[in-house]
Amino acid sequence: MRALGRPLVYAGALVAVVLFAGPFVFMVLSSFKQPQELNGVVNGFLPQSLYTGNYENLFATGNFALYFVNSAVVALLTTVLALVVAILAGYALARFPFTGRRLLLLAVVAMQMFPAVLMAIPLYKILRNLGMLDARSGLILVYVTFALPFCIWMMRNYFATVPKEIEEAALIDGCGHFRALWRVLLPPALPGVTAAGAFSMILAWDEFLYANTFVNSDEKRTLSVGLDSLVGQYTTDWGQLLAGGVLMTLPVVLIFAFLQRYLTQIAGGGVKG
Amino acid sequence: MATTHLKESAAAPASRVASAPRRPRGGRRPWAYLAPAVLLLGGVLGYPVLDGLWTSFNHSILTQPGADRFTGLSNYAAVLTDPVLLTAAWHTVLWGVANLVLQLVLGFALAMLMHQKLAGRAFFRSVVIIPWIVPSVVVALVWRFLLDPTSGPLNQLLLNLGLIDQSPQWLADESTAMPVLILLSTWKWTPLVAVILLAGLQTIPKELHEAAMLDGAGAPQRLRYVIIPGIRTSIALAGLLTVGYSVNNFNGIWMFTRGGPAGATETLTTLAYQYAFTQFDFGRAAAVAMILFAFLFLLSTVYFYLVEGRKR
Repeated sequence: MRALGRPLVYAGALVAVVLFAGPFVFMVLSSFKQPQELNGVVNGFLPQSLYTGNYENLFATGNFALYFVNSAVVALLTTVLALVVAILAGYALARFPFTGRRLLLLAVVAMQMFPAVLMAIPLYKILRNLGMLDARSGLILVYVTFALPFCIWMMRNYFATVPKEIEEAALIDGCGHFRALWRVLLPPALPGVTAAGAFSMILAWDEFLYANTFVNSDEKRTLSVGLDSLVGQYTTDWGQLLAGGVLMTLPVVLIFAFLQRYLTQIAGGGVKG
Repeated sequence: MATTHLKESAAAPASRVASAPRRPRGGRRPWAYLAPAVLLLGGVLGYPVLDGLWTSFNHSILTQPGADRFTGLSNYAAVLTDPVLLTAAWHTVLWGVANLVLQLVLGFALAMLMHQKLAGRAFFRSVVIIPWIVPSVVVALVWRFLLDPTSGPLNQLLLNLGLIDQSPQWLADESTAMPVLILLSTWKWTPLVAVILLAGLQTIPKELHEAAMLDGAGAPQRLRYVIIPGIRTSIALAGLLTVGYSVNNFNGIWMFTRGGPAGATETLTTLAYQYAFTQFDFGRAAAVAMILFAFLFLLSTVYFYLVEGRKR
C-alpha cells in the first residue's frame, strides 16, 4: 500500500499523535505542577519540579478514594455478571435453531441506539420500587443490562465460528451441554470474552447520566459523578482536579494496553454478522 | 437430565413438534440459557421503553404524586409547539450532521494512517485512540482546563502568539459554545470511527490492491474502486453508530455547558433531561425522548435491512 508518499505519512502520523494524545500528556504533566504554574503566573510545558501536592490534597480534602472504590466495585461486578449472562445467551443464539433469532439480532442493533435519557425516567421508577435507588446495586443492575446487547452479540459471533463437530465430539464423550460450553467452546472464544469484558468494564467506569440521577449520597457516588462534582466545587484548583483525572484514566489505559490486539474487535464487534 | 428432557418434549406444543420433526437439540433448552438475558433485557430495557411510551401519553409530574392521568397526545402537542424544543431539535440536527461528516472524513483519514506500514505502528495505534478510551468526565475536565478563559493554556498560547487580543470565553459565549463542543465531540469519537474503518480496511485482500496497481490504477482510482467498496459495511456501521452516539450524547454537552449559555447548546437529549430532572415533568420528557427514539429506531432498522439483511 503506497497510496501516500512516505514523508507525508509520517507528517500526518505526527500531527495525529500531537492532536489526539497531546492534551493528555499535558494533563499528566500539569498534575505535577504547583499552583502558581497552573494559574497562569508562570508559563511552561514541563513542571518546574515533581510536585506531588496535588495528589496529596486530592486524598486529604475530599471523598476521592471512596469514589474510586465505588467505581471499582461497580465495574467489576458489572463485568462478571454481564459476561456470565452473555456467554449463556450467546451460546444459545449461536447453537440452537429457533424462531425469533433474527428478531433478537435486530433488537441488539436497535438497543445500541437506545437514548439513555429515554430510559432514565422509567428506570428511576423501577429502582425506586425495588428499593435500589441511591444504591450501588441499582447501578450494577442497569449497567449489566446495558452491556448485554453488545456482549451477547460478541459471544454469539465467536461461538458461531467454533466448529459444531468439536462440541458434538465432547457431547458423545459424555459431556453435558454446560460442561461442553465451559470446556470446549469457551477457550477458543476467549478473545471475544476479553473484548466483551473490557466493553462492560469501561461502560460502568465511564457512565455518568444514571449514576448522577439515581445516586444521591456522596459516599455512594462513582468516580464520574464524583469528579464532575469536584469540577463544580473547585474550578480554581486545577492541579487537584487534574490529579484526579490522571488516576481515573490510569486503569482504563492499563486495560487497553493489555488488550491492544483485540482493539478492532472491541470497536467493531458489530461488524461481523 | 433425561427426565427434564422428557418433560420438555412432553410440554412442547404438538404443532411445533410436527412442523419441525428433525430438530435434534431444539425444544426449550435454548430458553434456559437465554432466560437470564431475556429477564434482564425485558425487565430493565423492554419494560422501561413501554413504560416510557405510556408515560408520554400521561400527565405525570413527580412533585404531584397520584395526579397521573391519561391525556392522549397533549404532551406531544405541548412539546412540539414549544419554541425551546424547536431550537433544541435544530441544534440536534446540526450536532448530528456535523459530527457525522467530521468524524467520517477525519476517521477515514486516521484509519488510512493506522493501516500504513509505519515504524512503531503498534505505538501509533495505541496512542491515537486515547481520546476514545479516556472517561468522558476526564475529557471534560482536561478541555475545561485547557479552554479556561483566564488561566487556560490555550488562550495564553494564542495571546503569546499574538493571534488574539483578549481571551475568548469559548464555552460561555453563545456564538462559540456549539462549534467548540462539536469539535470536542469529534475529537473524542473520531478514533472509534477510525478503528471500525481500520477493521474494514484489514479485510481487503492484498491481491486486490496489487491487481489494481497492475492495471495501472492510481491512488484516486484505487480509493474509488477498491478501498471504498471494500469497507462499505464498516462505513455504514460507523455512520450509524456516529449518528446514534452523537444524538444520544449527553455527557459531551452536559459536562461542559449544561445546555447553556442561554440554551445555545441545548439538544433534545439535554432538554429531555431538563424536563425530567429539573422540572420533574416526566410526561413531557418522555414525549421528547420518544421522538428521539423513534427517529433512531427507524435509522437502525433501515441499516439492518440494507447492510445486515443482505449478507444472509
